[in-house]
Amino acid sequence: MTATIPKHIPAEGYIPASRQQEAPQKAYKWIGKNLKRVEDPRLLTGNGQYIDDIVVPKMAHAAVLRSDRAHARIKRIDTSKAKALPGVILVMTGEDAKKVTGPTAQFASPPVVQYCIAVDRVRHVGEAVVAVVAESRYIAEDACDLIEVEYEDLPVVVDPEAAIRSSGDAVLHPERGPTNVAHRHTYTYGPIKDDFARADLVVKRRLRWGRSGAQPLETTGTIASFEPGSGKFTLYANSSFLNYVGWLVGASLGVPAAKLNVIPCVTGGSFGSKLFTHKVMTLTATLARAAGRPVKYIEDRIDSTTSCDNHGSDRIYNCELALKRDGTMLALRFQVIDDYGAYLQFGYGTHGNSLCQIVGPYRIGSIEMELVAVLTNKCQQGAYRGFGSEVTNWMLERMADAAADELKMDPLDLRRKNLIQPDQFPYVIPSGNVYDSGNYPAVMNEALRLADLPRWKKVQAEARSEGRCVGIGVATCQERSVFSATEFWSLNPTDNPGFTLTSSPESVQLRVDPTGIVHVTLGSPFWGNSPETMATQLVAEQFQIDPAQINIVYADTQSGFNSTGPGGSRFTVMIAGAIVGASAKVKAKMLRIAGHMMETHQGDLEFRDGKIGVKGVPGKEKTIGDVSLYAHYFRLNLPEGDDFASGLDANYVYDHPLTTMPAKDRSHLGIFYPIMGHMCHMALVEVDPKTGKVKILDYVAVHDAGTVVNPMTLAGHIRGGTAQGIGTALYEKFHYDETGQLQTATFADYLIPTLYEMPPEIRVGHVETPSPFTEYGIKGGGEGGRMGAPGALSRGIEDALSAYGVRCDELPLTPRRVRELVRAAERN
Amino acid sequence: MKPAAFDYIRPGSLPEVLAALARHGAAGKILAGGQSLVPMMNLRVVKPEMVIDINRVPGLGEIRVDGGELVIGALARHAALLASELVKKHCPLMADAYPWVAHGPIRNRGTLGGNISHADPASEMPAVLAACDAKIIAKSAKATRTIVAKEFFVAPLTTALAAGEMLTEIRIPSAPAGQGWSWQEEAIRKGDFAMAAVGVTLTIAGGRCTQASVAIGGMERAGVRLAKVEAHLVGVALDEARIASAAKLAAELVQPGDSYHADARYKRELVEALTARALTTAHGRCK
Amino acid sequence: MATFPISLTVNGAAVSRTVEPRTLLSDFLRDDLGLKGTHVGCEHGVCGTCTVLIDGQSARSCLTFAVQADGCAIRTVDGLAQGGQLNPLQQGFWEKHGLQCGFCTPGMLMVATELLERNANPSTDEIREAVSANLCRCTGYYNIVESIQHAVTLMKEGAK
Repeated sequence: MTATIPKHIPAEGYIPASRQQEAPQKAYKWIGKNLKRVEDPRLLTGNGQYIDDIVVPKMAHAAVLRSDRAHARIKRIDTSKAKALPGVILVMTGEDAKKVTGPTAQFASPPVVQYCIAVDRVRHVGEAVVAVVAESRYIAEDACDLIEVEYEDLPVVVDPEAAIRSSGDAVLHPERGPTNVAHRHTYTYGPIKDDFARADLVVKRRLRWGRSGAQPLETTGTIASFEPGSGKFTLYANSSFLNYVGWLVGASLGVPAAKLNVIPCVTGGSFGSKLFTHKVMTLTATLARAAGRPVKYIEDRIDSTTSCDNHGSDRIYNCELALKRDGTMLALRFQVIDDYGAYLQFGYGTHGNSLCQIVGPYRIGSIEMELVAVLTNKCQQGAYRGFGSEVTNWMLERMADAAADELKMDPLDLRRKNLIQPDQFPYVIPSGNVYDSGNYPAVMNEALRLADLPRWKKVQAEARSEGRCVGIGVATCQERSVFSATEFWSLNPTDNPGFTLTSSPESVQLRVDPTGIVHVTLGSPFWGNSPETMATQLVAEQFQIDPAQINIVYADTQSGFNSTGPGGSRFTVMIAGAIVGASAKVKAKMLRIAGHMMETHQGDLEFRDGKIGVKGVPGKEKTIGDVSLYAHYFRLNLPEGDDFASGLDANYVYDHPLTTMPAKDRSHLGIFYPIMGHMCHMALVEVDPKTGKVKILDYVAVHDAGTVVNPMTLAGHIRGGTAQGIGTALYEKFHYDETGQLQTATFADYLIPTLYEMPPEIRVGHVETPSPFTEYGIKGGGEGGRMGAPGALSRGIEDALSAYGVRCDELPLTPRRVRELVRAAERN
Repeated sequence: MKPAAFDYIRPGSLPEVLAALARHGAAGKILAGGQSLVPMMNLRVVKPEMVIDINRVPGLGEIRVDGGELVIGALARHAALLASELVKKHCPLMADAYPWVAHGPIRNRGTLGGNISHADPASEMPAVLAACDAKIIAKSAKATRTIVAKEFFVAPLTTALAAGEMLTEIRIPSAPAGQGWSWQEEAIRKGDFAMAAVGVTLTIAGGRCTQASVAIGGMERAGVRLAKVEAHLVGVALDEARIASAAKLAAELVQPGDSYHADARYKRELVEALTARALTTAHGRCK
Repeated sequence: MATFPISLTVNGAAVSRTVEPRTLLSDFLRDDLGLKGTHVGCEHGVCGTCTVLIDGQSARSCLTFAVQADGCAIRTVDGLAQGGQLNPLQQGFWEKHGLQCGFCTPGMLMVATELLERNANPSTDEIREAVSANLCRCTGYYNIVESIQHAVTLMKEGAK
């Protein structure tokens, strides 16, 4: 295939050949159908078996006493009254835990050490100081009230720019160096100096992305049992990395993987926050071992807001976009300060992630990023729907709109001028990642059509004539899917990159039983995505059988194969690859056996309507059940050799379909997130300049997620993602005051949008540019609307307030914040 | 977040409730709807030793009209008041404000009496009662007294109820014929507590304002009436200029407090905008 | 601390237990009775995940003590399906993709049950008012509204 490759990247063989087995087709039996979800009946009847629904005999309950200080040495802890309370089984401090359990798993290099209960000092309000196990959660909390902790306050730092200058006692991890700057490095991709030198215009902005977080309605929890005779832990957990790196929890506990089994649970939402719930698993297992009883620990809402270890990005950008006078974008240069909070569990992965689509859908030729990662006295960041690239999407759209304003161009025209064109794919961007396929003009045109832009402009004009402020915002953004593991370490120092893993597979175990039922064992759990439905539709398509013939099962870590899990919108693509791989083996065997049963050459046979039959000869066929029964029980009727061993089963580990190593000198990062979706979001908003209140009058979201397995569930992610994007843009913030107290710790202050904050409808459109690299050409779409909504809304508000000359460069745009912008503009 | 342990009684009569209150004093807390009390107990912000559940005391939930007053019993639920034709007729300001109060399930359980006794400055009903010159009937084991709304809300989350006293009834003078009213509020999400709220009643006679009541919600103290703004309005014709100057005065007079969602300056701006809207709308409703 | 005997019905079945006064109704249903369908999201009355019906009225079970339910008729999601069959509301949610993770779903089903028992033919505004009482982090709410509208249709068809 002819690809577009920048000059600074060696073109020869840069893009490996596609491993696609199943090309996209014009018509399918099951793919593309709005199959009712397989998961739903048990969820609708209240039988989901979420972590808190599971009861283990004799289980005790844990609660955690949390720090009320942002930064302090722990001088003394008196647990005597707590221990004496009837019903209390165990009280454990950080020092107690440290004797038996090592630091929690983390992926930064050099590491930032964290324990499941704080040792020596607390680094944020809400950090665990003491854990209690009791007969009930009620009693455990009573015991927490009886614990006395003496602290010696240390200087608090909550401002990321101030954190850069921290010294002495203000440094959170002095063992790592005398600074709160965890990492500072400039990454250059392409001829940045030359491109800036030939610019006619450099647009500069300072942008501030506020800290929000996933906050699913179900919090993180674990039930841990420890069997002392065998020394084995059994955990129930709502974690999705269990079959990828779950054994790291065992490492913290000091046991080999043979002594740890993690059983997945149906999970009530994650949005990234339950990728690897290692702190809660490590803590609960430690408590169970010490208590001699199974222990259940479920974070309550305050545990979660203050200490979930999964706040989202918290960034300050200073950006420069270089353009020609005609609007052609040349280069982008920026400094980003990212406030990671008190720890650094995922390293700088959220910036590696951004670099996969750092030019957006635009033909920008070079990129330079100065990354300044700082540590402060806040809950640490984790993963939140977009994992950092939703922030750079917003940043790019702000810069595009700023450029349009400075050049006095229509923002749509500026974008059109710079969009990568359909004939340029696969397109390699300056950082080295590949965009596999796309048609960005088609997505924009479909959005404009659905919105009926002339009608919106008329609404705007009428409103203006009445003195009302109505605005239109458009965002054209990338939605990458299927992350590769290299993004976890490719930004680390090359002399100390840490664990340079390059595997991020997904596995499936597929078995047809003697009755003809296909059992599919997934290595990754249910999050609210639809893994059972996706797997069912894909297996049904492969075998041409009815969904009722398919049974989906989840593997624990004892029986599961290497599986990275949902996250980075990767699950459907990856499970499709695994299912195609496993199905090929099983189907080949079924054809061999059916050929014998019908004394026909297997090349003349096909799978049709739950049967295997002779092509062109209706009636000469056997049911799947007939063939499977024969395969399981009639060995001596079949030829010798392993090809005919009793049974019908295959495991398949599907590796990332398109990933390559970063360059040794990191002049590019290789291919690491290439299955590239795209969206165009459009918002029509009204702003009351007196109150700062924003009302979304209308909203359109057009997405390209390649071949769509289930349009209904994809639309659900688009709308649900947009709702979270609305929350991020207008309502949600983890706000720490200058003493490090979290002012928005309850749901009364951390404001998640209700139905009334949503636009009257979100009109969803689809464009499909299949991927050349994935099975059926599927691309991921789970992160959905959160990737585009903030850009569309920021511009909509800015446009509504155009008479004031307001710039919406800081999120969230709360009523107070919007009013501040108007007030400042009125003063000038 | 589980509440701390407490003792519990569920008296079957008002005298039993009052006797329990007398016995336990400040260590006792009345449980009516629980929509304000129980979140605080779950967060362990309050830890009452004795919870006195009044939900089975008969006769405490009435909504009736008596001698020119709308009489609302302590246990009248928000949902019943929202739906009540008597409320619409006799206290239209309350009816105007009720859709802003919380959400359906909260209104099913929550009581006006409990809400008022909680005295949250960001809650709507304290301002409504202050605007309408409501009277609170407070009973103890020993005595009954009447506290006017203006004196009932002493400080944030603190009322004039003494230890051992319980609100049993709220009495609101029936809105006079021809009186206009308006409730205006800004909350971030619909149903949230108010960042700022203004409740107004007005009477116009002979082209001039003869009565004005302006009460504020969302500021530092619940149930605040702005007497100076009222004085600014009474005796004159209410044209746009007068309404604007009244609104400006209101913004200057309030004590807003600062919070993450709304700082003092923003709250003052909201008060100005909302007062203007409330006065204009109320004026339009005057007959 | 003293415990109290309570007698109530839960999904039509008579229940008698002894409880501590501080036991929340949400915990009583889930732990004492083993009815896990009612979920807990915030325990301070904002998210509505724990919504049940008390004497036909929706209520947040995390803001109610079990002792207060003495003599009451409690209904939860666990009692909606009849004879192993999804009821029209549940069927409506299934057909219109009204859930993704399913955690808020029991609370949504209960506010919808209250709505449809009061008014078998609610307007879209009335449905939206009911749904706006509860948080959902997955769906963006639209499909929940459509699911309830579809349930109304299914119930009309069933009545024929």
